[in-house]
Amino acid sequence: MDQKGLGITRAILFCRQLDPDQDVNRRAIEKELGSQIRFFPLPCSGRVDPLYLMRALESGADKVYLITCPEGACRHREGNLRAKKRIAYTQGLIEEIGLDRERLELIITSAGDRKTIDELTRDILAREGVTSSVNPNDADIEK
Amino acid sequence: MITAERKPIKEIKEMLAPYRKILVVGCGSCVAECAAGGEKEVGLLSSALRMDAKASGKEIEIREMTLDRQCVYEFIDQLTEVIDQYDVVLSLACGAGVQAVAEVFPRVHILPALNTTFLGETKEAGLWVENCRGCGDCKLGVFAAVCPVTRCAKGLFNGPCGGSKTDRCEVDPDVPCAWQLIVSRLEDTGRLDLLRKVHPPADWSKQQGKGPRKIKREDQRT
Repeated sequence: MDQKGLGITRAILFCRQLDPDQDVNRRAIEKELGSQIRFFPLPCSGRVDPLYLMRALESGADKVYLITCPEGACRHREGNLRAKKRIAYTQGLIEEIGLDRERLELIITSAGDRKTIDELTRDILAREGVTSSVNPNDADIEK
Repeated sequence: MITAERKPIKEIKEMLAPYRKILVVGCGSCVAECAAGGEKEVGLLSSALRMDAKASGKEIEIREMTLDRQCVYEFIDQLTEVIDQYDVVLSLACGAGVQAVAEVFPRVHILPALNTTFLGETKEAGLWVENCRGCGDCKLGVFAAVCPVTRCAKGLFNGPCGGSKTDRCEVDPDVPCAWQLIVSRLEDTGRLDLLRKVHPPADWSKQQGKGPRKIKREDQRT
């Protein structure tokens, strides 16, 4: 990820272990949303580096999400715990330059409710109030 | 290893205020190991400065570079071809590196982005501890490789102060009592007799009072 403007508004970094079909699922929603969203699959959320998060913001993302496995479910034992610390570090850094720490968000998925990456993305968008315009077929999301 | 920490961005911004073209230069040695001034930290700080400038409507241009060592001329020389294109160098080296670059380029403005802190070791991931003061009169040989000058809060040479509790220093319970470590190690290695010797106070004239120290070795010189 370089720091040149990509025209994206949301960057979603995620552990690709979350969804065995992440490649197909994320491509489908990427096609649907175009430049509004950009995915960055990671071999493990613990692979995230504060620099990736900063570069995503610098590239123009209004908000950067990092989605991890449920706590205690990381196949590399502590990857998602490290991800949490790195988000916290980067939040501190962006606060130093006057940005809202909420522009970086950690989403820890639920062990009892496994969702695919496109479902997780729709949940995020629903929270932002944009679900209906991008996901007309997914009526049960907002129940 | 020399350790350092990044200055607050507010302080860095204040120093950089008069400048537009900034060369941010990291160092790939000690300060990279302590995650303060390596290539990643150069990227993080540069990103932060660019975003801050954009938000405040200031136009700046930043180039990122990281030298293997910022305290050795052969590496500093890599800046020669580019340094004139910038108004200022923001150095993420230790104080020695900042000054070395300044000496090579006497007309260039050089600013420090780090506060140099101490000589230490990487104790574990993300934890660096001071264990050498560079006193110039190393006595680790008689103190079982545990430095009482640095690791004893009171710098005692002739036994513990008596204030430690459960092996911990009374000044900072997070720190093991250096004298507990010294005695344990001497005991474990069968050298407790070394404690019979009474040591005079440290000779600080080897560290301070004569200006900057230097080491000169003819066999290493050209």
